[in-house]
Amino acid sequence: MSRPPSLPAGRAGRRALAATGLAVTCLIAACAPVQPAEGPAEETTGQSVGEPADAGAVEQGGELVVALSAEPDRLDPVTSRSLYSRYVFHTMCEKLYDLDEDTEIVPQLATALPEVSEDGLTVTIPVREGALFADGTPFDAAAVKTTLERSLSAETSARRGELGPITSVEAPDPTTVVITLAEPFAPLTAALADRAGMILSPTALTALGEDFATAPVCVGPFKFVNRVAQNSIEVERDPNYYDADRVFLDRITYRIITDASIRAANLQSGDAQVADTLSTQDVPGLRDTEGITVLETDSLGYQGVTFNVGNVDGLGTPPGDVGTPVANDPRVREAFELSVDREGLVQAVFNGLYSPACSPISPDSEFSSDAAQACTEFDPARSRELLEEAGVQQPYPLSMIVSNNPDTLRLAQALQANLEEGGFALSIEPVEYSSLLDQQDRGDFESLQLGWSGRVDPDANITNFLGTGGGQNVAGYSNPELDTVLEQARTSTDTQERVALYGEAVSLIQADDPIVYLYRQRNLSGVTDDVQGVQVFPDGVLRVAFAGLTG
Amino acid sequence: MRAYLLRRLWQSALTLVLATIVVFLGVRALPGDPALAFAGEERDPASLAAIRAQYGFDDPLLLQYGTFVANSLQGDLGRSTRTDIPVTEMLAAALPVTLELAVLSLAVAIVIGVGAGVLAAVRQGRPAEWAANAVALLGLSVPNFWLGLILILYLAVGAGLFPASGYVPFTEDPLANLHHLVLPALVLGTGLAAVVMRQTRSSMLEALGADYIRTARAKGLGPGALIGRHALRNSLVVVVTIVGLQLGGLISGAVVTERIFGLPGFGKMTLDAVFQRDYPVIQGVVLVTASAYIIVNFLVDLAYSLIDPRIRVAGAAT
Repeated sequence: MSRPPSLPAGRAGRRALAATGLAVTCLIAACAPVQPAEGPAEETTGQSVGEPADAGAVEQGGELVVALSAEPDRLDPVTSRSLYSRYVFHTMCEKLYDLDEDTEIVPQLATALPEVSEDGLTVTIPVREGALFADGTPFDAAAVKTTLERSLSAETSARRGELGPITSVEAPDPTTVVITLAEPFAPLTAALADRAGMILSPTALTALGEDFATAPVCVGPFKFVNRVAQNSIEVERDPNYYDADRVFLDRITYRIITDASIRAANLQSGDAQVADTLSTQDVPGLRDTEGITVLETDSLGYQGVTFNVGNVDGLGTPPGDVGTPVANDPRVREAFELSVDREGLVQAVFNGLYSPACSPISPDSEFSSDAAQACTEFDPARSRELLEEAGVQQPYPLSMIVSNNPDTLRLAQALQANLEEGGFALSIEPVEYSSLLDQQDRGDFESLQLGWSGRVDPDANITNFLGTGGGQNVAGYSNPELDTVLEQARTSTDTQERVALYGEAVSLIQADDPIVYLYRQRNLSGVTDDVQGVQVFPDGVLRVAFAGLTG
Repeated sequence: MRAYLLRRLWQSALTLVLATIVVFLGVRALPGDPALAFAGEERDPASLAAIRAQYGFDDPLLLQYGTFVANSLQGDLGRSTRTDIPVTEMLAAALPVTLELAVLSLAVAIVIGVGAGVLAAVRQGRPAEWAANAVALLGLSVPNFWLGLILILYLAVGAGLFPASGYVPFTEDPLANLHHLVLPALVLGTGLAAVVMRQTRSSMLEALGADYIRTARAKGLGPGALIGRHALRNSLVVVVTIVGLQLGGLISGAVVTERIFGLPGFGKMTLDAVFQRDYPVIQGVVLVTASAYIIVNFLVDLAYSLIDPRIRVAGAAT
């Protein structure tokens, strides 16, 4: 397992002690100590996704305890809305497609990438032969059809939007699925690499109906055993799994531990072997702990500040005139962007463990480009000039609603200090999370700090938020030019063309700044060294299905 | 007697109805929208509408209330909007956890509190009393969450004596169950132990100065019997009353303790439900709690009137 190459600050004392120890040992053994690096230790920003288990080094059997940071909601891929349910689904519900560690889409229950017709309206997916659901019934194209149709028609479905303009799903033979679209929809493949692509046992669906979440049945290395509300979810090895030789563990227990420091404590005491979403405050200490490895990957999401530029009557109504300079004059928002010292923020608030971000597209995304990663330099002097040009009072008073958790409050305070330099007087209004969602949808804010967990396809990270009439366009933003570019990108099936179009979209967004992107979180997960094969890719899902214990 | 019983029954029923109305309206008066809270990141208007329709949040308030009462009377408290698990099932799982924690914490509080209280009273003015007082003051002023974290850090992570958090049902493994509850019970019990200690000490001091103790001492009774059989026994009446009064505080203190130790109890469930705006769960929790209080009060009143006929008569006169 790889350990970050450099040492965080604060280890100097212990390092000196270790060096003394080494010197003493060397006196006895007559060797020359390797010189430790001098100067302040710098933080790492490298990725560490974890390694697959080495079949020769791990035991057959055993139980893995995973400390989960939040309770998954419904264990039904069609109705589930919480991201954490994906962590559990990963072990028991395989998808048509999966992501690899480079965030590229690879077949899982499908046998090849989809074949898209010339006009982009017919998508043909070849699927596996001989796979069995956990209840022993066969997986085939008809099951895919049943699941996708349920996602499209069920009243409680959370997948409809992701699947796009599908008009029909057909299964002409057991290994072929044919999807017909009303218009070309490039993000479909990425959607099928997430919950929308998890295929459910038609037999179990008939038997359980709306109660499918109480005993989900899919194709996967593990199968559902039981769930204790607020406490735990248990899965056990599925003997029916088509690739059973790759599975080492007998059982995985997900224990819900919402407090980050308690999750870290469980890892240290050995009560849990894996923990997700470690706090940036705990990571330096955990890196120092013998027997624990911290996996770090950039996420596909972002955190940013959204301005209310046109949300007068609430989400879903046409944009109106908010009437404030920050809403109506892009120069004021540009001044805001110039006042943000992203690098400094990330260092001060998150121990340098998160990455500065200037756009909705992660540098890890296959749709990233130089244009998509362009960034405005920190320049508070220029910010004050712009405010002067805009003819607004200085310091310019701006209120920002934020979620009242410690991390966000620390970020807001650091931002406040930054902005003061750039000529703003930021007032922070902490709001409880559910109230914040309500306020943002009603348009009852001047600016707000919130983020998005991110999806593989950039369309899902932009259009909903900044496209005219987008489902989550709480900014009330409307820019016909951006709409056109996003529409072209969504319907194009040529990856290179899409890359160029998303670069163009980012430039348009940055010229207008309805959202100022701040930083990208990293997926920080802890794993004890007696476990091999735990991996975390940029989609943030803890991949533990093919892990094993080393004893 | 029957008239009194009927009137008390009627009053209790009225209180319960009022409680349901207050809960029902109170939950809906919270800022925030349950559909939004549940929808998570994918909250497009169409799915929000579907969620509201599914749980009837878009029905007129009166209809929603009627449905809630009608279903509750049949023992159906609805399903959690978040997990889709029936609320009755969640309550049945959470209640034993909190009750067990409360009983164990009470045991901790009584053992430590009474012991230290007696010691402080008997050794009045000596170092033992100062020590006991200092410990009591600490117990009162140290916040639950801090003590919890410290115990986890030193006894679970450091010494590895106890699990850092989590819960195992008693029916599954009684030993593991107790093992998981030692630290939470200590944390929750120490605050109460301090109260019990101070109460025991002052009652004991009062009792030790009483005439019957002087008489007993004059009769040549040894210190063990004097303290154990006479002074402590008479002091305990007050202590028991105080412990009873503190029980409510114990349950509310359990919210923090359950959260720190990841115990799937009543308090944690309530807190999570409020943050999630999980209306059915909040309603269920409050309904069950209110019913419990009302029933206990009813039974206590009944017991009073059986013991003391004057209460019955006085009650009948008003």
